[in-house]
Order: sequence, then structure tokens, then C-alpha cells
Amino acid sequence: MKNHLRVLRAELAWSQAQLAEHLGVSRQTVNAIETGKYDPSLPLAFSLARTFKRQIEEIFEVEAG
Amino acid sequence: MTEENPSPNPAEAPVDPLFTHPASPFLRTEAPAPVAFPSPPNAAPTPAIYSTWVIYRTQIEFGLAILAYLMVLVGSVNVLKANPDADWRYYVAVLPVAPAGFVIWLFVRALSRLDELQRRIQMEAFGFALGTTALVTFGYGFLEGVGLPHLNWTYVLPLMAVLWGVGTAIFRWRYR
Repeated sequence: MKNHLRVLRAELAWSQAQLAEHLGVSRQTVNAIETGKYDPSLPLAFSLARTFKRQIEEIFEVEAG
Repeated sequence: MTEENPSPNPAEAPVDPLFTHPASPFLRTEAPAPVAFPSPPNAAPTPAIYSTWVIYRTQIEFGLAILAYLMVLVGSVNVLKANPDADWRYYVAVLPVAPAGFVIWLFVRALSRLDELQRRIQMEAFGFALGTTALVTFGYGFLEGVGLPHLNWTYVLPLMAVLWGVGTAIFRWRYR
């Protein structure tokens, strides 16, 4: 899965730690999602969508292939 | 104030911008566009309290519980040594189970407080520890069969704990 989390986070000028605190997860988890090493659960993906006021499809997209 | 249409009341006259006069050195520029970014949903993030107790609470509680367990254990062993034939020796012998149970309760509570990635890392680390412990103990068991000295069973749990720590480090690094 690809995602635009880093860009969206930069638009809010939030640090990974701030986003992590807002979502109630660890900073390491935010970093792993941003780098694409971990795909978040559906509830966490919805929390991200609510945080950035976007649809989930606007944040995450399936890589071709 | 313009020269062609002087207002009777100077206070109500429109303010003459500097760039309206043809000879003015000031150029008309557009006002800066408003910033397109929305304000953060949580405008002021609550300031984090960076005290030792807040950050390391779980570890401190865990350490104190382990300490309590060791103290009760040593005390129980000493009491049993001094009174090997007392009727109540069974109760004293089983006493360290209480603080050990508290340690387990703290451990399970700490696990339930992890977020989803940390839980996955712990699950993989436990699997790694279980598998490698099985390999090591079986391997040594076979070696014992051909003459290596018999080792105490109590080495199994520390071995598993160390491998769990190694596994946590490995899988945490993989999701870095």
C-alpha cells in the first residue's frame, strides 16, 4: 500500500509524535505506516481519515500489480 | 485624500494608497493569498509531561513487583529453612505465588495497552522466542543423550526471556 501520510502531515505542520498522540498510538507506529512497512487496521485508517478530513482512498492507495 | 474631490470631513475621506499616483515609486501588488492549509483539528496539542514516573510508570511498577517477589521468595525460603517441620510450611512455601501473580497481572496489562503495531511486534517476538527455545532445548536434550551434563530446568525460562528480548529488538528494527 502507498500512502500520502507524510504530505498530509506536513500540511498540518505536525510532527510524527503529535500525530501519534492525536491517534493514540506510538510514534513508531506512525513512522511504520508512513514508510509503508505496516498497513494500519481499519479503525486506525478511519481515525487517520477523520484527522485529515479525507476519504481513506485519498490517503491510501493500492500499488499497481 | 484625492485632490479632485476633497472631502469636507478629512476623517471620512478615503485613504489614498501610495500606488495610485502615476509617479509613485510604489508598485501595486496582490494581497498574499490566504494559506490553503486547514488549521489542525486539535489546535493546541496538550503539552506532554516528561517526568520519569509518567514515562517509565510501567517499568517502575514492574521492577517493584519483581523486587517484592524476590523479597517474599527469599523470606519464604529462609523461614522454611529455619522451620523445616512446621505444620504451616506449605502456606509459607506457596506465599511467593502472590507477588508473582501480581507480576503477571502487570505484564498482561502492559500487553493490553500496546497499540496494534507493538502488539504485532510482541507476537512475532514471542513466536521467535518460543521457536528458538524449542530448538535450543531439544538440541541440548539430544546432546545430553550422548553424554553432555544435565542442566537444571530453571534455565529454560531465562533463556526464553533473553530470546524474547532479542526477538523484540529484531522485529522492532524491521518496522523501523
